[in-house]
Amino acid sequence: MDHKIYILIVEDELEVMDALVKDLEKFETFFPVETANDATEAEEVIDYILDHDHKIGLILCDHVLPGKNGVDLLIELQQNPKTAISKKVLVTGQAGHEDTIMAINKADLDHYIAKPWTEDELEKVVRDELTDYVLSNEDNLLYYMQVLDAEKISDAMRKNKMTDH
Amino acid sequence: MENNPGISWLNDTDTILTFIKKVISELPELRDQIEVLEEGDLLFLQGEPLEFMYLILEGNIQLTRTQPDASEDVLITLGAGSFAGLIAFTTGEPTLTSGRITQKGVALKMRPQQFEQYLNDHPRLKHPLQQLMLNNMIQRYKSNLRLQTKTHALSKQLNKERNELKAAYQQLETTHQMLVHQEKMATLGELVAGFAHEVNNPASALMRAAENLIDIYAEFENSHYSYQLFRLGLHAEPVDSNTQRKRMHLIEKKYPWVYDRSSVRKLAQMPDEALDLIDKHRKKGEIDSLVNHFEAGKMIHNIRIASKRIANLVKSLKSYSRQDQNKEELADIREGIRDTILVLSNRLKFIDVNLELDDIPKTCANIGDLNQVWTNIIVNACDAMKGQGELTISTQEKDHTIVVKISDTGPGIPEDILPKIFDPNFTTKNQGAEFGLGLGLAISHEIIGQAGGSIMAGNRPDGGTEFAITIPVRDDC
Repeated sequence: MDHKIYILIVEDELEVMDALVKDLEKFETFFPVETANDATEAEEVIDYILDHDHKIGLILCDHVLPGKNGVDLLIELQQNPKTAISKKVLVTGQAGHEDTIMAINKADLDHYIAKPWTEDELEKVVRDELTDYVLSNEDNLLYYMQVLDAEKISDAMRKNKMTDH
Repeated sequence: MENNPGISWLNDTDTILTFIKKVISELPELRDQIEVLEEGDLLFLQGEPLEFMYLILEGNIQLTRTQPDASEDVLITLGAGSFAGLIAFTTGEPTLTSGRITQKGVALKMRPQQFEQYLNDHPRLKHPLQQLMLNNMIQRYKSNLRLQTKTHALSKQLNKERNELKAAYQQLETTHQMLVHQEKMATLGELVAGFAHEVNNPASALMRAAENLIDIYAEFENSHYSYQLFRLGLHAEPVDSNTQRKRMHLIEKKYPWVYDRSSVRKLAQMPDEALDLIDKHRKKGEIDSLVNHFEAGKMIHNIRIASKRIANLVKSLKSYSRQDQNKEELADIREGIRDTILVLSNRLKFIDVNLELDDIPKTCANIGDLNQVWTNIIVNACDAMKGQGELTISTQEKDHTIVVKISDTGPGIPEDILPKIFDPNFTTKNQGAEFGLGLGLAISHEIIGQAGGSIMAGNRPDGGTEFAITIPVRDDC
C-alpha cells in the first residue's frame, strides 16, 4: 500500500480520547489512528495527512470542543472537496436536538454515537463506515477484507469481476 | 344709554314667577289650566310622547332616566319657575325622561298650541315667559357643563384606576411566574436529591473497584518491575495529542523494530522512567505485556479521575439546589457561588473564570434562591460571550453590606435596552433557547428584593457587562 487511510479522532478530554483510541486499536494495522484535541489541530493534522498523499477515511468528532464546535467543524470538512468523501461520525454526550439535525443536514453526517458508548457499538459503526468508504474509494478491496465487513466486500468484488468481463 | 331695569328683574326667576302668578290669577281661562301636583305622582313617562308642558309654580318635579341596564339615574330636580317637558315640547319627540313629583305644588299645564295662543293673547305674558324659558335653558346648559366636567373627571379617575389595575395585574403575573418557578426549583431539588443518591451508589462502586484493583496489584512484589510499571501508569499525566505525536516520532526512532502503531502510541505515553524499566527488563517479544502493566495503571487512574468527577458534580448539584427551599440560614454566600460555578462547569468549559472572593461575613440568606441569581447572570454572560471570554466574580463587604460583582468580556448591553432588562418577559434570545423564558433577570430582581438588597446592571468602560448585587448582612434567622 503506497497510501494509508487514516481514522481521525477529535476530542478534547484526554481520558475520553484515551478510551476511544483504545477501542479502535483493532483497526489500527490497516487504518492508523490520528488524534486532535480541538478543531484547529484537527485541520492541521488533516492537512498534514493529505499533503503526504494519505487519505482520511473516517472522522470521529466530539461536539463540545474549545473554539469551533464539532458540528461546525464537520460542516466545514464536508464543504471542503478534499474531506467531503471522508465518513463523518459525531460522538457526543451533549449535542442538542437542533445541533444534531444541523449536522445531519449540512455536514452529511454518516452516524451519531451517544456517550457513553459501548465497544461493540463503536466497533460496528466504525467497521460499517470504513467499509462504505473503502467500497467507494479503493481498488484493492481484498486487502481490507479481514478487518472490515467481509460479506459486503466479497459481494462488491464479485460484482466488479462481472462488470470487468 | 339708560340702564334698563327690565333686564335685571327679568333675570330674576322669582320676580318673573310672581308676575306670572299675578297674571294667571287675573285670567280665568289660565286659572283653569292650573294642575295640582300630588307628591309621588308620575307626571310623564320616559319614551312616551308628551301632550303637555308644565311650568312649575310651586313644588318639585324630579326628572329620572332609565338606563339600558334598567337602573334609574336621577338627573335633576326642577323647582318653581322651571319648565318640565321642555325638550319634548320643543322637538315634538317622545320624552327623554320620566317626571315624578317629589314635593306637592301647582303647575301651569299647556298644550303646544295653547302656548302659542297665550303668547299671542297676552302680550304681557309673552316677554316674561320667553325670559323664563331662556333662564331654564341657561340653567340646563350650566348643569350640562357641570355634568361634562364631572364626566371628564370620572373618566380620568377611571383611566387611573385602569392603569393601576394593569400594574397590579402585571405584578400578579410576575408573582405567579415566580411561584411557578420556585415550585419547579423545589421539584428539581427533590429530583436532584434522589438522583444524587442513585448516582452516588454506582460512583462509589466505581471508586471502590478502582481502589481494590490497586490493592490487588499491590500484592505483587513491590519491587517487581511489573508493579513499578503499574504504579507509573497510575500516576502518569495524560498527554495531549500534539505532544503525543512528537513523542511518537521519538519512539519510532528509538525502537525501529516496533512497527505496530498502537504499541508506538502506548510507548509514547510513558514517562522516561517507565521506558527505562522496559529497556532494562524486556526480553524478546515481551514488550507488549510490559506495556500492558503501565496501561492497566493508566486505566485505573482514568477510572479514579472519572468517578471523582462524578462524585464532585453530584455533591455540588445537591448543595446547589438545596432541598430546604424558602428557608433562610446563616450561610457564606461564596459557597453558593462556588457550587454554581461547578454546576455550570459545562457552560464555563472554555471561559476563564476569575474568582476574587474576599472574606465576607456569613449572613441570613436563602442560598438556593441566590444560586438562581448567580446562575441567571452567569448563563447570560456565557451566552453574550458566545462561550469564550473572561468571567470575573468578586465579593466584598462594605458598611455591613455584601457586594457581589459579576462581569464578562462580552459585547455589553445596548444602552436602550438596559433599563428594561429586569422587566418580566424581556428577552433578547429567540424562542426555544435553552434559558430563553425571559424571566431570569426578573426573578433575580425579585429574589434580591426579598433579601432586602439591590441588583444593578451596567456596561464597563472597557467593554462587557457588570452586574452589581448588594445584600445587607443580617443575623436574625
